Amino acid sequence: MADSIQSFVKFVSRKISKIKWQPSQKQTLECSDTFVTGSWDDEKNKICLWHLGMQESMERDEMDDALEPALKCEADHNGDVTGLEYVGSDVIVASSSTGSVSLYKHHTSSQTMGIQYKWQCLHSHGNHLCPCTCLAVRDKTIVTAGEDGKMVVLSAEQKSPQRIIENADSSTINGLVFLRLTEVISVNSSGQLKTYDLRSSSDAPAQTLSVSGELTSLHSVDRHPGQPHIVATGSGDGVLGIWDLRQEKSPVSLLEAHNGPVWEVKFHKTNSDHLFTCSEDGAVWHWDSSLVGASHMVQTQITGTGAGSGGANFSVNPSFQFGGSETLNKWLSPDNSKMEINSLIDDNILPVNSVDIESQTLLCGTDSESIITIRLPSMR
Amino acid sequence: KLHFITAGRLFDDLMKEEQPESKTTYWDTIFRLVLQGQIEKACRLLSLHSARQTDDFQTLINLLKRMPQLSNVYKGSSVAEFDMKWRHWRDECQRNYEEQKFSINPNLETVVRILCGEDAVFSEVKDCCDPWYHMLISKALYQDPTVKACDLHYYIQGCQDAYRSTTRLGELDSILLSALESDVYQVIKDSRTVFSNGWFVAHLTDLLHHCGQLDSHRLQFGSDLQREFLLLEYAGSLMSHHSLWIVGVSYLDHCAEFGRKYLELYLDHIPLDSEKKANKILKICEDRNMTEQAKSICKVMGMRCIRNKRLGAALTWFLRSKDVGFATVLAEKYLLEYSESGEFTNLDLIDYLGPSMLLSNRLTFLGKYREFHKLYSEGEYHAAGDLLLALLQARLAPKQFWITLLIDALPLLEKTELIFSSQQTRELMKCLEELTTEYKLGKKRDGLGFTEARKDQLDVLKLALSRNLPKAILQEGTVNLL
Repeated sequence: MADSIQSFVKFVSRKISKIKWQPSQKQTLECSDTFVTGSWDDEKNKICLWHLGMQESMERDEMDDALEPALKCEADHNGDVTGLEYVGSDVIVASSSTGSVSLYKHHTSSQTMGIQYKWQCLHSHGNHLCPCTCLAVRDKTIVTAGEDGKMVVLSAEQKSPQRIIENADSSTINGLVFLRLTEVISVNSSGQLKTYDLRSSSDAPAQTLSVSGELTSLHSVDRHPGQPHIVATGSGDGVLGIWDLRQEKSPVSLLEAHNGPVWEVKFHKTNSDHLFTCSEDGAVWHWDSSLVGASHMVQTQITGTGAGSGGANFSVNPSFQFGGSETLNKWLSPDNSKMEINSLIDDNILPVNSVDIESQTLLCGTDSESIITIRLPSMR
Repeated sequence: KLHFITAGRLFDDLMKEEQPESKTTYWDTIFRLVLQGQIEKACRLLSLHSARQTDDFQTLINLLKRMPQLSNVYKGSSVAEFDMKWRHWRDECQRNYEEQKFSINPNLETVVRILCGEDAVFSEVKDCCDPWYHMLISKALYQDPTVKACDLHYYIQGCQDAYRSTTRLGELDSILLSALESDVYQVIKDSRTVFSNGWFVAHLTDLLHHCGQLDSHRLQFGSDLQREFLLLEYAGSLMSHHSLWIVGVSYLDHCAEFGRKYLELYLDHIPLDSEKKANKILKICEDRNMTEQAKSICKVMGMRCIRNKRLGAALTWFLRSKDVGFATVLAEKYLLEYSESGEFTNLDLIDYLGPSMLLSNRLTFLGKYREFHKLYSEGEYHAAGDLLLALLQARLAPKQFWITLLIDALPLLEKTELIFSSQQTRELMKCLEELTTEYKLGKKRDGLGFTEARKDQLDVLKLALSRNLPKAILQEGTVNLL
């Protein structure tokens, strides 16, 4: 049953800060084989496009070679790459530690990549440079946030920003992700999650949630692909948090995971029982909740008349099924003893900054100047 | 094969040709291949020659094919056996040469002379075995393949002399000489000065140290210190690199004696370009319990935030390092902002401080004061009043802020329902007295005092308090009676 995990390490002479799969084309069922990386901490940083020669029909012994990425093209980038996303199938947007955001177009015919447009100084402290820390994309809308606590909404088709939310946050915003078409959620270095409605005229967040107790920064956030009210966060002390946005204020569960800040949290896009985290301690963990008891009945308070109850309030106990009971999502289940957690890389000392998962292949970008491609066995 | 790739390259080029012998490089390649001991390839090239069927070619090819190879000493045949076989073979080559079989083709003759290990021929083909250590190996191969390492130096001089007219001996050559003579210390010493990158000498010394090959007495500092010294040197060069500093950290971790001290110093010099980088360096400090450095990084980042007017972000940095002093400074800044503008900024942080506010007294006061405002706006007047009094009594508030607090009591006093009990009212009056007395004293001393507006406010307060007292006493009295 279990084919082993195969992995390949490719050294690329640059520390990788962000790695991202090209979104698979909607028309074909084939999964993507192209990904893009962004580097950091170098004098000349680069955005590179890679190709992974992967086909389902390949022989066993050819599979190892298929895990080695080949460089297709690259482009220079000014400053550290702090956020990297695809807008459409061949346009890439990257945010920089100089506070600017650039759009790169990949010309498939000539296999080159060039800057299509650059928004300069979107984030700044007065006259000083301020890093843009994260990026989120939905269709053609790009939202960026930075160390100046500002959130900027851009459109890939317009030169000037659509909206600037000054003082969205009094601490640094570390992660952003779209919840719905016009709703974004952000995490900051004071450990708060805030949801913003981009359509509303008010600049204030619609909802603010945080962990009670010590303030630990949150560094990454991702939302469940099927259910936008379920969100996972990675914190500065290595804790994975699962949140239900319908419940006010506090997380559903906090799972102690890594020994260092969790830089990226990613749900698998098609198989949402699987979650991946990577951290400064050099580990990449695969969280598999498919075996967690899913049909746990929720205790509900129901007012109503039952036979002979005289119209009083009564609560339903778990073994009793009443019409309209809710099936809890596996991530929200309070009993997570069946959650399987696998560590995917051994012997890695230097931090892993970014991961992305597509179908069965996980990509990791690390500070040891390498890209690690991991093929996972078939997931439930 | 790894270092001298010309032969292989030329061979590949020739193999693509139809008539390799017509190329000028043909014989040159054959010489090079033979000198490198790549017999099989040489044979292949020779068999492509049009005249290969002639006697002399055939004899040569035969000789080459029968050259004994020292493939595996441990597999049965010993060195002595190989030596005997080899001598046999060499004698046969010698015989063939003396029988003048190759006199027609001078190139073939040269090859046979090489096989015989004749000294003179090496000088003739020295262009094919440049530099001197290549010739050294080739000579050794054909003159004495079982030569021991210590005896190599017999051949060195001869090889070097052959090239003396064309090239000078460089520094790398002298290092190689020392290596051939197994003079480890000289190698280490020279490598340090010759190579600009300390990678080689650091790792070499490290490996030798772990094998126990370094004799402590002969080294300036003793073997482990010597190794450490070299590792520190190399790590130093890494730490100043814009991105390889993280590798340098690992090297310093392996220096038992001084590594930690050096790391502490170096970490202070890494530029903190962004918060993410600062977070990474912080983790390095925290993993190694370097609390001083961690605190100083947080301080630098916090100060930067203050300069950029990001007070909220600054507070997160100071809370993280549990820096009481700066947390107090920030809390005072916030309070100043409030008393000047009448509004709080950064509410999204202050309201969620939770137990972190206990870090500094000022910060606690700030948090509680916000709580007071929240209670007031929610209409919980009694709780608000109690909190206000508690803040005054606990002396949490700085004296400068007492006025603001007391003025805040005004709306509560003006409410129709009774908020403050008589006891509480007396407390408030006492605080007011204390405050005014102190200011009057201050006025006498420094000429400071209340502004006119303040004085009016305080008068109103006094009035409100004195109105509240009888009201309170009455109500309490009434309750008691009932």
